[in-house]
Amino acid sequence: MAALDELREAVIDGQLAVAVEQTKRGLEEGIPAQTLFDDGLMAAMRRVGELFEEGEVFVPEMLVASRAMTAALEVLKPELVAEGASTSGRVAIGTVMGDLHDIGKNLVAMMLRGNGFEIDDLGTDVYPERFVQAIRDGAEVVAMSALLTTTMTNMRAVVEAIGEAGLREGVAVVIGGAPITQTFAEEVGADGYARDASSAVRMVEQVLGRVRATNGP
Amino acid sequence: MSGARTSNANAALSAGARRGTSSRERVEFALAHQEADRVPLDLGGGLVTGMHVRSVYLLRQAIGLDPPGTPVKVIEPYQMLGEIGPDLMDALGVDVVGVGRPTNMYGFRNDNWKRWSAFNGTPLLVPGDFPTDPERNGDILMYPCADRSAPACARMPKTGLYFDSIIRQDPIDEEHLDAAANLEEFAPISDEAVEHIRAEVARLLPSGRAILADFGGMGFGDVALVPGPTLRHPRGIRDLEEWYMSLVSRPQYVYEVFDRQAEIALANLARIHAAIGDGVTAVFVTGADFGTQEGPLISPKTYRTLFKPFHVRVNDWIHANTGWKTFIHSCGSIWRLLDDIVDAGFDALNPVQTSAANMDPRQLKQAYGDRVTFWGGGIDTQQVLPFGTREEIRAMVRDRMRVFGPGGGFVFNPIHNIQAGVPVENLLALYGAVEEFRGYPIGDPAA
Repeated sequence: MAALDELREAVIDGQLAVAVEQTKRGLEEGIPAQTLFDDGLMAAMRRVGELFEEGEVFVPEMLVASRAMTAALEVLKPELVAEGASTSGRVAIGTVMGDLHDIGKNLVAMMLRGNGFEIDDLGTDVYPERFVQAIRDGAEVVAMSALLTTTMTNMRAVVEAIGEAGLREGVAVVIGGAPITQTFAEEVGADGYARDASSAVRMVEQVLGRVRATNGP
Repeated sequence: MSGARTSNANAALSAGARRGTSSRERVEFALAHQEADRVPLDLGGGLVTGMHVRSVYLLRQAIGLDPPGTPVKVIEPYQMLGEIGPDLMDALGVDVVGVGRPTNMYGFRNDNWKRWSAFNGTPLLVPGDFPTDPERNGDILMYPCADRSAPACARMPKTGLYFDSIIRQDPIDEEHLDAAANLEEFAPISDEAVEHIRAEVARLLPSGRAILADFGGMGFGDVALVPGPTLRHPRGIRDLEEWYMSLVSRPQYVYEVFDRQAEIALANLARIHAAIGDGVTAVFVTGADFGTQEGPLISPKTYRTLFKPFHVRVNDWIHANTGWKTFIHSCGSIWRLLDDIVDAGFDALNPVQTSAANMDPRQLKQAYGDRVTFWGGGIDTQQVLPFGTREEIRAMVRDRMRVFGPGGGFVFNPIHNIQAGVPVENLLALYGAVEEFRGYPIGDPAA
């Protein structure tokens, strides 16, 4: 499985062209697309997340790794569809109303994508009704970001809007951003808070597990 | 490098001047790591040490400086900072005043003031070229140099409190990338701009306050400036994620941009210094953020290889040729970078984000307090100031005075600009506590 080793290495190092090349080579060698994704791209992004949490890699390195992963995923996508691959879950993500900061939000989206989640990126300055619509469109998780003390309070309005629409039971709400804390997450009625893009993946997996257990199959 | 740093300020200060010092001397004492009569206070000396206009309005009203409905000037349109006028400075005991270039972040002048109302009906004065007509969706778009024929460069969302850059990124042609494309905004300073700075320094010197000058052009890789907000059609690398990636994927390109930018900046500094001499106390060098809430944004190696050489070059030039002190702003958790940042020769560090990971005030003071002045760190603006009680605010101010104050090396300033939405009672509690606890001698009971 030399192709898988080299694919992982290319993604971790952010070598976009090599990652794409190794993905194509893997497919040519007959490695299933799901294996290339699980043991190649996803394993690489998990390693990048670990290195980030260990303080060994930083935002630029994480961005180039994510970009390489995204390019390789584009190659795999038609094959994954053909193999009938399932996703880890569907996440609607956005920066809340009044706030245009999106680097943190984008990093979380990339890490989730690299861990098999389907992402509905709602962008920045996202109003509560847009999050509600995304749940109606099939999102199981709503992920909100805010950089500002002046906009983080808008997260409460989103949780309330989801409740008023009668959709709160079936969905996990997770939040993050520089001024956000666990206490604040509890105050606004979110299901989870993560302090960075890497721990966000684990947290989304956890809360999604809880929501699915509550909802039943 | 330490030899260069013990400059004129020390020599000029006699021990006898310690009591009854002027504002300017108070800041000079702090920067020379000596105790004056009290800890100096900055509010609005720089574009990262000020206050959102909504909060300035409420504070002025609460202190009784203006009749209700009196508008406040927006002196910085990007972050919508309000003017900290001489009357407010006197009321709070502010020791620092700012000087900058004649045009603002978006390349137009702050003049021809007009009335406007925003942020829950706050009465404002904005520059004549400031766009006040919203788009259909309620957003306000900003244009570079107020040129509406160019693509908009910034947006304030309908419910927002300030602007953020609109990214204008042409497709990147890797083969033909030329550093000149990222240097368009860095140019020899005009005679008019030098004269503006000279006149401003001359006007403000008699106030007795310390001048914090922002001459521009030295913010290597500051992502507030990378998108080219003054440029009609920015070229090169202008997308922020692309820029961050370039630090590891195109380091040669970034190095060349910084190298040529430094050359231009030093030539400009020489002309400015020839015009104003040593009237300025400190110079804002760079505001590029190197930290996130949890840790460094970039690796220590990236700082050391790409940024530090240019920080050293600027600091060394200023210390060798002027009596100015140098000032760096970087948000976030930068503990792992501080050995290098301090070693690069900065005299003052801002905003000292003690609310970020590994930024314990006592550890910072102990490790770097003899070499760098903490210009910030006075109050946490993410939790305590906007959401805390008055007693929590008072306790934090007392603690920070006790930790950072002893031996000088502290200019009291909140962590970055004070935002809108802070209860005015909390602002009054903040400045009440500053007044209560800023007097020397100060001891740290925990030390």
